[in-house]
Amino acid sequence: MTGPSAGGLLEGSLEIVHVGIEAVALAAEATGAHVTRVDFRPPAGGDPARIRALSELLSGPAARAIDAANARALARLVASRPHLVGIGVARDVIPGMADDLFLHAGPPISWDRMCGPLRGAVIGGLLHEGRARDVAEASRLAASGAIRFEPCHHHDAVGPMAGLVTPSMPVFVVEDRAAEGAGGRTYCTLNEGLGKVLRYGAFSGEVLARLRFMQTELAPVLAAALALRGPVDLKHLMAQALQMGDEGHNRNRAATSLLFRDLAPAIVRATEDRERAARVLEFVNGNDHFFLNLSMPMAKCMLKAAEGEPLSSLVTVMARNGTDFGLQLGSMPGHWFKGPAQMVRGLYFPGYTEADANPDIGDSAITETAGIGGFAMAAAPAIVQFVGGTAADAIETTREMGQITAGANPGFAIPQLGFTGTPTGIDVRLVEERGVLPSINTGIAHREPGVGQVGAGLVHPPWEAFHAALLAFSEHVRAVGPKDRG
Amino acid sequence: MNVLVLVREGCYQDSARLMQVSRELSALPGVVEAVAMMGTETNRTLLAEAGFADPALDRATPLDMVVALRAGTAHALEEAQGALARVLAGAAPAEKAGGPARRPGTVAEALAAHPAARLVSVAVPGPYASFVANRALDEGRSVFLFSDNVPLADEVALKERAVRLGLLVMGPDCGTAIIAGTGLGFANRVDRGPVGIVGASGTGIQELSCTLDRAGVGISHAIGTGSRDLSEAVGGSMTEMGLSLLASDPDTRCIVLVAKHPDAGVARRLHGVLAKLGKPVVVRYLGEVPHPSDDGVFYARSLDEAATAASVFASEGGEIGDTRSLSGTAFRPIPRPGPPGEGRLVGLFGGGSLAAEAAFVLAAHGVATVVSEERLTAGASLPSGNLIVDTGGDAYTVGRPHPMVDQTVRCGLIRSAGADPSVRGLLLDLVLGDGAHLDPAPEIVRAVADARAARTTRGGSPLAVVVSVCGSRRDPQGTERQERLLRGADIHVESTAARAARVAVRTICCPVEVSR
Repeated sequence: MTGPSAGGLLEGSLEIVHVGIEAVALAAEATGAHVTRVDFRPPAGGDPARIRALSELLSGPAARAIDAANARALARLVASRPHLVGIGVARDVIPGMADDLFLHAGPPISWDRMCGPLRGAVIGGLLHEGRARDVAEASRLAASGAIRFEPCHHHDAVGPMAGLVTPSMPVFVVEDRAAEGAGGRTYCTLNEGLGKVLRYGAFSGEVLARLRFMQTELAPVLAAALALRGPVDLKHLMAQALQMGDEGHNRNRAATSLLFRDLAPAIVRATEDRERAARVLEFVNGNDHFFLNLSMPMAKCMLKAAEGEPLSSLVTVMARNGTDFGLQLGSMPGHWFKGPAQMVRGLYFPGYTEADANPDIGDSAITETAGIGGFAMAAAPAIVQFVGGTAADAIETTREMGQITAGANPGFAIPQLGFTGTPTGIDVRLVEERGVLPSINTGIAHREPGVGQVGAGLVHPPWEAFHAALLAFSEHVRAVGPKDRG
Repeated sequence: MNVLVLVREGCYQDSARLMQVSRELSALPGVVEAVAMMGTETNRTLLAEAGFADPALDRATPLDMVVALRAGTAHALEEAQGALARVLAGAAPAEKAGGPARRPGTVAEALAAHPAARLVSVAVPGPYASFVANRALDEGRSVFLFSDNVPLADEVALKERAVRLGLLVMGPDCGTAIIAGTGLGFANRVDRGPVGIVGASGTGIQELSCTLDRAGVGISHAIGTGSRDLSEAVGGSMTEMGLSLLASDPDTRCIVLVAKHPDAGVARRLHGVLAKLGKPVVVRYLGEVPHPSDDGVFYARSLDEAATAASVFASEGGEIGDTRSLSGTAFRPIPRPGPPGEGRLVGLFGGGSLAAEAAFVLAAHGVATVVSEERLTAGASLPSGNLIVDTGGDAYTVGRPHPMVDQTVRCGLIRSAGADPSVRGLLLDLVLGDGAHLDPAPEIVRAVADARAARTTRGGSPLAVVVSVCGSRRDPQGTERQERLLRGADIHVESTAARAARVAVRTICCPVEVSR
């Protein structure tokens, strides 16, 4: 008679994985078993309803279908080939952009709930667009309802910090050049540099002057150079930068340098006026974060490729508006799951403290969502002091993110980890099972409009957003998922 | 009274450690009450009702540890608060202090690093147990599920899934298993041998395996199923799988099934399975009169008899139905520890199955017993009649350690019942082995001595005490030493609960002898 073997349970000596009370493990060890202990934490925050939902999603009839959907989504993300294909004006190239529409970072928000830096950016945007002559008029206009506010993410765009996009701003156009082209086109403004800048809510004369320079010199020169040189393979560039100490969010020095080196000849050739060319090259050279506004639309493009699997539990958007944090799942695009924006732990510039800081803000967490930024921390030991740690902590962060992701992106290899790919594809199920939140590297904005950046550090999303996403996804799977037990 | 509620965020501790923290804080000078619990909704309600209502308590989550302190003085409260860090450091596993590798965070991660592990053992609080067990099944591993307080519906779902996957789920509430010589939960260090056991009863498996070990027979494997496996709802699915595993196991020559109060329909269906296993089978349904069977399945009248029958069937030439050759523990003469006296019997057990076995044997000898479901309190007057008390039952163990680990409650009852002049004799069990109290006999000896002293001052008759010791020669407590200590204190020692019950019968006057 050959019955079940229960996985060969009775054959040979016993090796055990143990979860829970220590005495049980000790007894097994005392009688000859090899015991591996699991560091148990209650899943899903210990909440009975969420544990039930999570158990169903991990072990129930739909679990394997969800795994397969995630694998397909991840494969498309990895296969996408975002290229910088050009520079256009927001009102001309961004789908749905209109003259009375301002785009902002994070989930939807009305003027009355906007934080200081976002209000400052809106005021600066109105001054820049010539819609208001002074701050008072701009504030009145913003509150009047004459301007509509919508998230960048609703228009395939992303923006760092306040993420403000006004109709006349120049934007990078990024396009998925993979055969399937599932990522489509994504958009992002050009990076202004550090200090007093619009994205941190500053709107002084120097901020507006810089925006004018970017519109009238930087964008046209770069556009001409790009037309001459042809599209730039952003993933290829990012892959090199990860091996040169960047993580694509808080450190962009290597990628900016690589882009500069790549574009410089074309800029010179495409520009009659040598001084004009030099000003543009100086501007790019003087801004270590210039590439951030390309790593972000690159990440957005990769994640758009991962969207649309009806059973995928992968996160495809994480974004903050300085008041709320919001995330979206690839299976439910357009649905925001929100929680309060968190305070950033980090280092402050001289003269500033945590009391000056605004809660977390910006679409830049799209980099972590795509598996770089904080998820590639191991690649960027140079910036570990921002997150108050050591190079070993950086490696630990990347390793820990591997516990909540569906896989790795072999295109983004980290030398420090034996060239394994960055952990990619945040699975809401694994976040809830592990009790581990995504680790996001970020800048810190001053809470008052007009001041600018005051530091940089590390932040985690609020649990509320993941808890809400878990329960909604569970409902979604019940509605559309397989019901037969395998 | 000074009250303080402390919440340690994200500081998950298992129930054993929480009890340890509570105990150590309670022992501090001036501390009236100290309770460490995780901040689940149930626990928060419990604490609020116990006079610890506090805004901090309302904010606690199931991942936060709540420590509630009540002390006589503000100073004592402050001292206790200061001691918490020290107590917590002591409660943490040793290797956390700069020790070796970080532990894996999930079953899947652990299995990825140790793919040869075939079993996942789960001893987490009940509300998390089926989640973790399912994750083990996801990885194609069988499960030893020590956790209790798992809803019946979850158990049914887990076991249905295990059947589909061809995997074994031992539990929930599985106290004992021995797989390939490794003890899981509460188990005795018994020799390996030809008898395989499937049991829905932890102490039933322990007594059976120890009896076989003492007889020099040994066991191949003991597969636990959890106490509800033979209920109508569960339907005996894991019992059936365990039997089938042992039927195809080359090391197993004879199979014993032990369970308490199976559902009649399930037992009928199982009989068909048992008859077709192709190996000799012995069954002991604890607390029940065996049905005669003529198709080779031997239903024993006691665990003793089951062990004896199994040794016969497992030996060379032993045959099914060869009951005439039965000898050994079950049939050795029963001694009389002294002249019978007036009064009643009180049985105070740590093992539920042993309690049931004792009650059955007493009844068979005309001693009717009352099985007390209510929680008895030391010092309060006892209910009338011959009593059987399972101090390992739910009434005694919710939020408290099992009497096999911590005898405080049972020893209190020994003192209280033993001092009662209406009580002629005490009937006890003492379960040894891994997981159990490391040196239990001295505590029993002290409690019995206290009871006898109190009784003498009240002018009562001598108190007879009979203990069944469930232990093997190799158990960490030193079974011989434990027995010697008991005997030295004028306590009669037997090897099984059934024998102890029969001895106890002889200590009281006028039981009706029933011929068997």
